[in-house]
Amino acid sequence: MNATYIQNSIAQLKTEIFMDVRHRTLQKYTGVPVLDENQLFYLLVPFLNGEEWQQEEREAAITVGIVYAALAAHDHIKELDATSKEQQLTVLAGDFYSGRYYEILAKSGNVALIRNLSQGIVQRCEHQIKVYEAEKRTLEQWYTSITNIESGLISKFFELYSFSNYIPIVEKSLLILRLEREWATYQRRQVTIMSRVLEESARYAGVTYGNVIQDKIVQLKTELLQVIDEASFLQVDVKQALQAHVEASIASTNG
Amino acid sequence: MEKMKLKLLYSDLKSDIEIIEKELERAVNSSSGLINDASLHLLQAGGKRIRPIFVLLGAKFGDYNIEKMKDVAVPVELIHMASLVHDDVIDDSNMRRGRPTVKSQWNNRVAMYTGDFIFARALEYITKLEDPLVHQILARTMVEICNGEVIQIEDKFRLDQGLKDYFRRIKRKTALLISSSCELGAVAAGVDPKTVRHLKRFGYFVGMSFQIIDDVLDIMATDKELGKPAGSDLLQGNITLPILLLKDDPGMQPYLVKVFAGTLTEVERQNMLRYVRKSDAIEQANIMSDKYLKKALQEIDALPKHPVKKKLRDVALFMGKRKF
Repeated sequence: MNATYIQNSIAQLKTEIFMDVRHRTLQKYTGVPVLDENQLFYLLVPFLNGEEWQQEEREAAITVGIVYAALAAHDHIKELDATSKEQQLTVLAGDFYSGRYYEILAKSGNVALIRNLSQGIVQRCEHQIKVYEAEKRTLEQWYTSITNIESGLISKFFELYSFSNYIPIVEKSLLILRLEREWATYQRRQVTIMSRVLEESARYAGVTYGNVIQDKIVQLKTELLQVIDEASFLQVDVKQALQAHVEASIASTNG
Repeated sequence: MEKMKLKLLYSDLKSDIEIIEKELERAVNSSSGLINDASLHLLQAGGKRIRPIFVLLGAKFGDYNIEKMKDVAVPVELIHMASLVHDDVIDDSNMRRGRPTVKSQWNNRVAMYTGDFIFARALEYITKLEDPLVHQILARTMVEICNGEVIQIEDKFRLDQGLKDYFRRIKRKTALLISSSCELGAVAAGVDPKTVRHLKRFGYFVGMSFQIIDDVLDIMATDKELGKPAGSDLLQGNITLPILLLKDDPGMQPYLVKVFAGTLTEVERQNMLRYVRKSDAIEQANIMSDKYLKKALQEIDALPKHPVKKKLRDVALFMGKRKF
């Protein structure tokens, strides 16, 4: 397995997701669904590692991707320009993608995954909305929320299909990537809602935001490399790909 | 007065409706204080709960068990609630049922997450039922409702549309979920396919009649009764049946020009409402609603003999003649 094989697998998954949520009007005004290639990569890790991956697993992965696209559409809703056609259709794009994931799984009778993913969405919404709550939270509580936001749905899929041993890798990797992104954005003097609450929590704890985030990333990377190294279920080339993926994504975020 | 009538109509389902109300509160319970507040804000705004009622009435033709039926009735109402929260973001609406909307009380993002949370809870609930057919019906309905909303946005401020466009829109916007409520209740209760078909069609016709009346009430009712400004549909660019019937009327044209330009004053809004109310468009719309209602009653006639048929007829007639 090389980088091209991984890229092709991600591209194919992406194409299948696009095909399943195709909608002429929505695409015209909102573009193609927003998909995070890092999430798609981690979604495919069991497949890349040679796990049992039949039509059911493939379809399950597609629907997880669709759910992420649905929620990402709603993450783009703004407070201003509220009645623009683009914004109105972005709301509907998210709802349409949600309906489509349900429709696909209903057609194949995969009620267990519908249940797991809906529970995952419930939890993700509860974590997402925390940034608007007045309650003061620690940095560790925010890391827990980010972990859920980034990888909770993949974990729900993995739990159901007995891929649970991959969850710590996915959780740590996607948390690292998100923290890197938040830090890079902050350095460009752009403020996201998440970086604002992280900075507030850092200040409240009497530590410097930049230091604490960078230390956390280093700590997570050390832990991740150890988890990957000790994962006897991973093939050698998959271990290398996982290590390279984190390094490459971080480099591209910084670069 | 109308609310009293509705309560009386539902009196023999009272205990089951109370179970559903309690279950709705449980369903929106969240570990997030903000989602709890926003969801309870929605629940407390009330609503006619017609979709759960139709689930229960459809189920009466089969093996009726409220413990099982609540797992269908609750998600159907939750889906309706969630779509309203997202609709208010789409329409930038500040008031609904006389209360501030979630988006105006908090903000758009909170409304999006609350809506997504409620949608997801609805699906989590309905997975208590394993029958794939139940899920296929609900999933198809959700996708079609969305398609209807996309069409509604495309049709906004478009006067070059006909009755067919309007009926296509309200079918997806309203009639489908009511039709599916009847169908889902019946399927979950193991009703025979022929009866399910009649119930589904009954729900569709009632839903069409219901939406036409809703559109008439948007013109005829007062701001206070509506809990938002009368004529809001048109102000948001939605061309409803009474307006569609008047679109070529010379007396209506100046108002339409101003509405579309966003320059209609409050006085002009009142004058426009008076003009539409006096026109025969309202009567014509009522006649069309009655035609659908008649078809709904014909479907009841085709149903097997059962005491609940009278209830279906009463609820349909109430919905087709309601004043709020």
